[in-house]
Amino acid sequence: MSEDAGHKNASASPQRRSFLLAAAWGGGIAGLGGLTGLTIAKLTRKQTAAPARKPVLGDEFTYDVARFQKSDPALLRYQEITRFASGLEHARALAVAADAAIFVGGNGGIRNFSAKGEAGLKISLDQPVYSIALRASGEMIVGQLGKISVLDASGAVLAVWSGLPENLLPTSIALAGELVFVADAANRVVLKLDASGKKLGVIGARDPARNLKGFVVPSPYFCVRMAPDGLLRIANPGEHQIEAFTLDGDLEVAWGHGSFAVAGFCGCCNPVSFDVFPDGSFVTCEKGLPRVKLYNSTGEFTGLVAGPDAFPEYLQAANAGTTDVLGSGVYAAIDPQGRVLVLDSVSGLIRIMQRKPLDHE
Amino acid sequence: MSDEPSIPAGENQRPTGERRRPAGSVGHPAQHSPVIEPPLPSASLPAAQFSRHAISRRELLKSGARGASLLGFGAAAGFLSGRESKDATRWQIDPNQCIQCGRCATDCVLEVSAVKCVHSYGMCGYCKLCTGYFEPEPINLDEGAENQLCPTGAIKREFIEDPYYEYSINKELCVGCGKCVKGCNMFGNGSLYLQVCHDRCINCNICSIATACPAQAFHQVPLTKPYLLRGKGASAK
Repeated sequence: MSEDAGHKNASASPQRRSFLLAAAWGGGIAGLGGLTGLTIAKLTRKQTAAPARKPVLGDEFTYDVARFQKSDPALLRYQEITRFASGLEHARALAVAADAAIFVGGNGGIRNFSAKGEAGLKISLDQPVYSIALRASGEMIVGQLGKISVLDASGAVLAVWSGLPENLLPTSIALAGELVFVADAANRVVLKLDASGKKLGVIGARDPARNLKGFVVPSPYFCVRMAPDGLLRIANPGEHQIEAFTLDGDLEVAWGHGSFAVAGFCGCCNPVSFDVFPDGSFVTCEKGLPRVKLYNSTGEFTGLVAGPDAFPEYLQAANAGTTDVLGSGVYAAIDPQGRVLVLDSVSGLIRIMQRKPLDHE
Repeated sequence: MSDEPSIPAGENQRPTGERRRPAGSVGHPAQHSPVIEPPLPSASLPAAQFSRHAISRRELLKSGARGASLLGFGAAAGFLSGRESKDATRWQIDPNQCIQCGRCATDCVLEVSAVKCVHSYGMCGYCKLCTGYFEPEPINLDEGAENQLCPTGAIKREFIEDPYYEYSINKELCVGCGKCVKGCNMFGNGSLYLQVCHDRCINCNICSIATACPAQAFHQVPLTKPYLLRGKGASAK
């Protein structure tokens, strides 16, 4: 480096230093200003003053149904003999075969169990299963969102029925000989189909000329069963009734009333599920207050299969407010031995309930 | 030139410890450099040397004005950025996490909570026996006060057609206790639920209800989507 160049650089240095010094001062001042501004912005925000906490809410602000969550032991006609886990999330479909094999459907597919609860076949399905009906041949008719499929006993898909509503929500399926009845909660009607899935008609649509008000189905719980008297039984949950229809859709009779008392159907929309004994009497299931109850063929309350306190997981979730409102169903099916199988979606457990011996027996 | 590796002349050559040493002093490694830095004012400094670095009143005012304007600019920028970050979000309740504990009614800084019950009409079953409207065991299914669940009478029921009724919330009366929400969630389909109403909420930087919420159901959501609504056609009415 020449001495000139060195001198030049050395003489430029003080200017640069002054500049840097000034810039540093400027930046510092601006930064200080920024911090001040930020602090002012924070200070002028509405502050979370320690709230003058209002008094604890009185009892009138508490939703209290605890008094209905205990059942009278004197009303219990059944006792639990075993229980097992369905292994499915949102298990909501329950069916029993003629050989007492148990089929459960939910998110993930279908699980098969022996009458004793031993796990068998697992059928994986992409879409949640909402309903299952079993043919004598061993075929399964499976309801999923927007479709009905026929599966063989190994779970292979034999057919997917077309021509059904796109928004079909098949929450229950009943068989009457070759006829198939599908409760469609989305459209609030029961579809009447032939053995190949061809639509033959609709039952329960609003029709004042036939004295039909239509079904009131506020949530995806809508059940249809075939009764031994040859009439269909269809739940009208918003009306708290079970209605009897001919296979052609004429309303014959209805029974049931809304009440939190044990003889009635609680909440806004119950029963969510039911089944019919060979003698024409009923087992019904309610959500909200999980209750499984017995009614005779004319709709008179005769006792409990299981009261709310038999479902501690369900009650805990309901009281804590953590229940999934669309996945809190309770379902029942009667097996060939007259036992009542109970599935609750919250715990995913299947309970096998057997009739208690009567006192005089 | 010595045999040491040459280092270009410049400020990097100067040890920082020597920065305040008066230029030209003996032993300075850059003693051939001109005076580059004003010495610190000192009583022992010769007056001539000190006067060389004195600034005029005009320069002082000029510098002061510059500094003040920079400070002001920085303050404005800081203030705006502070405001901006706060205004970009709103507090809201996730109805799927809410457990209807009642804290919304008691823990808001406002006299009457900004949390209100809202209704998704598209989801509602329009039930005759609405468990959000009626006591669990009503005497009659009518509008009698003794049959209504809401302690403040904030839910209005209107007949639509048999058997359907429409339910709407009077926000002036609703205190956000969530009693009706619990009834609807437990037995119905959850079309009644709680939301922070932004026509009332003052958007505290730390929401006191969020702090108290045992279910961590309060979240800061974008200003562009300030409600977490359920169902189709949901509205925060």
